[in-house]
Amino acid sequence: MEKRTFQDINTLIELFDNSDWRELSIEVEDFSLHLSRDEGAAGPAWQPSPVARERPQDTGAEAPPTAAEGAAVGERADSGDLDGLTVVRAPNLGLFYRSPKPGAPPYVQIGEEVGEDTEVCLIEVMKLFTPVVAGVNGILRRICVEDGDLVEFDQPLFYVEPQS
Amino acid sequence: MSRLFVANRGEIAVRILSAAKSIGLETVLGASAADRNGLGAELADRVVVLGPAVPARSYLDENLTVQAAKSTGCDALHPGYGFLSERASLARLCESEGIVFVGPRAETIDALGDKLNARKLAGASDVPLLSGTPALHSVDDACADAEEIGYPVVIKASAGGGGRGMFLADCADDIRGGFTRASEEARAAFGSGLMYMERFIRNARHVEVQVFGDGNGKVVHFGERDCSVQRRYQKLIEESPCGILPEGSRLRLHEAAVKLASDLAYRNAGTVEFLYDSDTDEFYFIEVNARIQVEHPVTELVSDADLVALQLKVALGEPLGLTQSEIELQGHAIECRINAEDPDHDFRPAPGDITRWNPPNGDGIRLDTYCRAGERVSPYYDSMIGKLIIRGADREDAIGRLDRALGVFEIGGLRTNLALQQFVVQHPDFRNNAISTRWLEQTGLPAFAERQQEPHHGAH
Repeated sequence: MEKRTFQDINTLIELFDNSDWRELSIEVEDFSLHLSRDEGAAGPAWQPSPVARERPQDTGAEAPPTAAEGAAVGERADSGDLDGLTVVRAPNLGLFYRSPKPGAPPYVQIGEEVGEDTEVCLIEVMKLFTPVVAGVNGILRRICVEDGDLVEFDQPLFYVEPQS
Repeated sequence: MSRLFVANRGEIAVRILSAAKSIGLETVLGASAADRNGLGAELADRVVVLGPAVPARSYLDENLTVQAAKSTGCDALHPGYGFLSERASLARLCESEGIVFVGPRAETIDALGDKLNARKLAGASDVPLLSGTPALHSVDDACADAEEIGYPVVIKASAGGGGRGMFLADCADDIRGGFTRASEEARAAFGSGLMYMERFIRNARHVEVQVFGDGNGKVVHFGERDCSVQRRYQKLIEESPCGILPEGSRLRLHEAAVKLASDLAYRNAGTVEFLYDSDTDEFYFIEVNARIQVEHPVTELVSDADLVALQLKVALGEPLGLTQSEIELQGHAIECRINAEDPDHDFRPAPGDITRWNPPNGDGIRLDTYCRAGERVSPYYDSMIGKLIIRGADREDAIGRLDRALGVFEIGGLRTNLALQQFVVQHPDFRNNAISTRWLEQTGLPAFAERQQEPHHGAH
């Protein structure tokens, strides 16, 4: 199959939208697409996202960004070099910490190997700290959030290059 | 400048965000993933996604909510209705983090949330109570008490409210058959299986008084609402004023509500609910709802007040400047709750995508909603998609306008209760104001089902 463009994907989504199908799965070579009307079923968890999408980062107690600013931040993160990487996302809103406690070394560094059960950060909600695991075997390639930042549900925290 | 955190979704989030903007507040909406692109998200200055669509991991998690409010620099939080709105623990958590909770004090929420305790408080303020019991300890106790009070009786959960964990008993067998199950249901839903009993009124109207307190004992009211069109204790149509109340009873009703709220040094908006016995012209306390209610717009249309803006102003420290004589009630307002549910199939929820949304508009028509064409109505939440509120010169005028508005309201893509609402509004019993809280279930719905079978009925 030739190189897929954004237009092709859009066409597929439109086709799906106008159909009465519940689900659509396409897998060709290195490309896979899973569409579902069921909100709960986003395909298997922690699948590599062909297009990395990031939402606006949070800036603590500063003035709320306008909608336009937010969109700009989101687009900037859509960079091509993240293709094929697996995104580790925030399980809920909270404060992001890279270390198990203040002053301690971070759980993981860029370039380090992580396993499915490797703890990669903490998310704090009102003094309750919950570890987040990588959920994938691979090499940590990117950290998206600053220590202590507010993260939202589903926000990308790390990118991992999967290793088989 | 203050920044408000809106801890809710749907039409009430939109309503609060609009009111906040109108008085110059910055806003942050705490949304679930299902709502991150909704109308509320567009109106808010900032949206933070708390968690996934499932309410237990988003709108019902008070820690996530307060963490989000704190981390986004908010100094006040409005809980709306439902979800966390009547959790004293949320009010406490806000307080301990220096965030103003837009609502009553935590101890007031606690005191009124326990319905047996609320009954005690109402009694102490000389608000009329139905004959009833303290906590029932056994089925045998309940049967003995019921003999004394006289059947039928209503058995209620003390930790409940809004009809949940509640049942009607016509005889001892009904009590024996329903008591344990209701008590267990209440324990599962509210954490307490404590039950009590009250006399049942056959021809009851649900009448409630909108009160507003400054927290220091000053309380004003904004008249009453009649919410007697109900199905399974869920309100479907609300109006203000209550057309059947004799003037003297109306005054006594307002006085009773204000006295109770004032004795509690009630802070912010609240509703004192009563049953009105239209056979004897007596009213009795039900409960106090310590929050803004779904049906507040009918009060706003007859009083010309913005209750939500008032909530925000008073919470943020403005004095409650209004005096009772400044609150003038004029005209008649009726609200229909528009739900995505199928009245032809036992009110099955009907979530889905709205493909067409053509609401009525014109003088005296107000629509509170988060919906528009293209909006997805999520299966995770309440089925109410909007509230159509009409103001008229008097009840008859309002009914006529409401009937026309319902007739032109087009919603495509999912099933709604629009046809049922129009059927009720056109029904002679509703027009003659000759209904009770059981009218819809006993008369309205059977008549609606019959009518559906007529071939010439033009449902849209």
